[in-house]
Amino acid sequence: MLRLKSTLAALSVSAMLSGTAIAADPIKIGVVTPLSGTYAGIGQQVRWGLELATKELNATGGIMGRQIELIFEDEEANPSVAVQKAEKLFQVSKVDFLTGTVNSGSTLAVGQLAERSDKLIATTVSFADSITGDKCSPNVFRVNAKAGQQSAALAAWLVKAKPQAKVYYLGPDYEMGRSTVAAFKSNVDRVGGQSLGEVFAPLDSKDYTQYFGQLRAARPQVLYTSVAGNDTVRLLTQLQEFGLLEGLTILGASGTVTAQNIAAIGKAVEGFVTGVGYTAEIDTPENKKFVAAFQAANKADPDLYGADSYGLIYAYKAAVDKANSTETAKVRDALRGLAWDTPQGKKTIRAGDHQAEQIMYVVQVTGGKFKIVAQVAAADAIGPDVCTRF
Amino acid sequence: MLDYLQFVLTPQIVTGLALGVAVILVALGLTIIFGLLDVINMSHGEFYALGAFIALALGQVGLPFWALLFAVPILMLPIGYLVERGLIQRVFHSKDRHITTLLLTFGFALVLEDALRLVFGPNPYKPETPIRGAVEVLGTYLPLYRLFMVAIGGLVIVGTALIVYRTRLGAMVRAAAFDRNMAASLGVPVERVYAGAFAFGVALAGLAGVLLAPIYSVFPTMGRDFILLAFTVIIVGGMGSIGGAVIAGLFLTQVQAISSLYISPVWADPIVFGIMVIMLVVRPQGLRGGLGHA
Amino acid sequence: MRDAITLQTRAGHWLVALLVLGGLVFAVVGFATGDTFYLRLATEALIFGGLALSVDILLGYTGLLSLGQALYFGLGAYVSALALIAWQSFWAAIGASLAAALVCGLAGGLIANRVRGVYFALITFGMAQVLAKAVYNTRALGASDGLIGVPVLDINLGLFSVSSASPVGFFLFVLAVTVLFYVLAAYLLDTPFGRLLIALKANENRVLFIGYRTSTLRLGSYLVAAVIATLSGALYPMLRGFASPELLFFSTSGNAVITVILGGVGTLVGALYGSVLLTIVKSVVGSWTEHHLIVIGLIFMAVVVLLPKGLMGLVQPALVSVLGRGSRR
Repeated sequence: MLRLKSTLAALSVSAMLSGTAIAADPIKIGVVTPLSGTYAGIGQQVRWGLELATKELNATGGIMGRQIELIFEDEEANPSVAVQKAEKLFQVSKVDFLTGTVNSGSTLAVGQLAERSDKLIATTVSFADSITGDKCSPNVFRVNAKAGQQSAALAAWLVKAKPQAKVYYLGPDYEMGRSTVAAFKSNVDRVGGQSLGEVFAPLDSKDYTQYFGQLRAARPQVLYTSVAGNDTVRLLTQLQEFGLLEGLTILGASGTVTAQNIAAIGKAVEGFVTGVGYTAEIDTPENKKFVAAFQAANKADPDLYGADSYGLIYAYKAAVDKANSTETAKVRDALRGLAWDTPQGKKTIRAGDHQAEQIMYVVQVTGGKFKIVAQVAAADAIGPDVCTRF
Repeated sequence: MLDYLQFVLTPQIVTGLALGVAVILVALGLTIIFGLLDVINMSHGEFYALGAFIALALGQVGLPFWALLFAVPILMLPIGYLVERGLIQRVFHSKDRHITTLLLTFGFALVLEDALRLVFGPNPYKPETPIRGAVEVLGTYLPLYRLFMVAIGGLVIVGTALIVYRTRLGAMVRAAAFDRNMAASLGVPVERVYAGAFAFGVALAGLAGVLLAPIYSVFPTMGRDFILLAFTVIIVGGMGSIGGAVIAGLFLTQVQAISSLYISPVWADPIVFGIMVIMLVVRPQGLRGGLGHA
Repeated sequence: MRDAITLQTRAGHWLVALLVLGGLVFAVVGFATGDTFYLRLATEALIFGGLALSVDILLGYTGLLSLGQALYFGLGAYVSALALIAWQSFWAAIGASLAAALVCGLAGGLIANRVRGVYFALITFGMAQVLAKAVYNTRALGASDGLIGVPVLDINLGLFSVSSASPVGFFLFVLAVTVLFYVLAAYLLDTPFGRLLIALKANENRVLFIGYRTSTLRLGSYLVAAVIATLSGALYPMLRGFASPELLFFSTSGNAVITVILGGVGTLVGALYGSVLLTIVKSVVGSWTEHHLIVIGLIFMAVVVLLPKGLMGLVQPALVSVLGRGSRR
């Protein structure tokens, strides 16, 4: 954080020396993201993405001629901490905008705080449908794909690649895990697949082998799972250990296999399919440029969290330029319906629920890397607007 | 019906057995430390994680798995010895030893877990499984490494019991557990026995880390995984009892395996916890007596 | 005649008075500078101080270490949040929380008090884990997302009312409530009931032999602690507008234990000072490194080894001797 501030200071000094006009005050963007705890790996990507975009924009004059300053706080993936830190950023640091929350509980709680403090926030990671659904807020935006978009994209691929597939479901036993499985199951039923059965394992399960008997007895062609993080490492490697991966295609939610755990899963991840809003493999000049810059800055590939966070800074710039102000009401109006370019293609923020529409990609792991196997148009994946609060 | 027996019930019981051995390995050190020192080691799970991370680091510089099985516990011994002499002994004679040492080891667990994250980062690692392949027994699919783990785990458990109950060293340990002052007056170097037993318990946790890493993967918060179950096992088995830990470990993991099949996986933990509560109410000393009494 | 315990209690009262004074000064400064964040952070510190107070009643006076006091804090937060969403009434939320505290405290107390020592610690830990899991899984309670949408409310206190959205007003209100908890606890512990608890901690058998039912005594202190923890939890959603399952997690219980140890076990007032101290340490260390657990863990270990009476162990003896001199005259 200190290092960041000093680089930004150095940048602004160099900008001054080169004679570029800059306003005295920078635009402050608060980032409340998990830097410690289970989600620290995701927080790192969020940070890298935001920092890269900020650096690029600051080098070309910032927003409205003002430099951008990022202020980070660790939310420890705990809503109570997130709200406290967000309030600090709003009240003490007087940030103009806030982002970074990862788990849905934090995003919802910080969103409520933003609404009461008359500020705007955006999430680039949380994918619970409720954030732009029944718990939507006029002060909350989401620039990443929600669970529904991912699930619709995956189902659209499934019907073409494996018509009438026999599918088994294995989810983590908590509300979010169950609803993700239920959403995909209804998609499968809709496109004519056959659901053989489902099992829910406790969160942080050590051993998934105790569910393999049921799985083996059901003889599915496809296994859909919504476990995440360390749980995925255990599930997939144990499936491999028990020789169950042969002839079985594994599908997952987009948080199931990520840059954080793909290395640990090793060979067991081969053939894994998921629906995402971003992958480093997207073959466009814009993305190639972004990936190269990201690698140069961080010695790592961007994943969807890094890319969505990177894109957010550009969305904010576009909105502030359009509004010619950083005032909440004006920026909100500018963000509604905003279309802007990102490494992952054009995104549009739907005015009715503040959800970004974007092309969805179906990706499969081949040789340890995600390769694109299908694309789904933005309009086919987004689903109906169910937000009624504004 | 036969299909169900073959595909579902039998594997459930067999994998439950492997999990049982894993839990006993973690609980074994815990119960020895409690039985002898009267100390609840809240950082035991983090020592288990430390063992797994040391194995990971040594494995990356090229040490083969077989060497790790010896190297890691040996490296853990001095760590455990120092922690006992440098930390535990400082509060060992305070008025409320149970609570003070519990708090101290809880603090140490916080530090150790965060230190592992500082050194190795937050993301998980998965060491290569040293033995590949599987056998089919009566139609049940059994990976060789799990069989190996059960075998080695069994050997370690039996070996530990032999050391404690059949050697002169073990007799000294048990004497110190039974009556500290009497043992001291008979010439048992009680202080060193205490530190040694703590180090031994910590080394066992490290060994569990090496053995279980290829199955359960390695990450900084992995220590929290087993610890509640391990505590349950030593409470039900009787604090300080090796035999009790073995019986309780096998029994509770079977209860988990079967209940997750017939009720729901999410109820497995509350059921096991319920057994612990009932045990505490009906028979607070657990299934078997402690180290000084068996 | 004033015995040592009375003097210690007296010293505690003085320190609470000092805390209140400090709070008032802080409120004035906060109000004058138009501050929101620090006032609300301090309010949160006091709320968690109430939780720590309940841990101290168990640990410092009855000798029972609870590793699951978050169970009652979370219970209060959820019951209060639900009541506030349904009725928008402070008194309804407090009434419902109190009822829940008595029912659950009695049930939990009957289970946990069958055992003591480390077994008590582990059983309270387990009970909190089970409840946290149940909440995490219940859609009606918002499951893993938590309950948001707790309205801003006006607390009607008869003569005047306080808005939970007013930083300084709500801070003063919570300060008053926390002091009330302290007074209640200090009063109870000064009665024969409280003295028996202290005797119980020293030697349970002797208390039994003089003819008291120790199980009833321990249940009593468990219940008092449960009520204070629940009511502290009930204040949380009023401040932050939500309740989340993380409030029930071990990190919340563990923090309360750390607070009490830092502040000083068996002093009551130490819990309140400890909470303020821990909040300051966390916010300073937290903006300096993301590995704050190493720092907090090391401080905690140092206090356990070197300062068994915590922060109050440094302050209280001096105060006691001053008060003692005064009383002999």
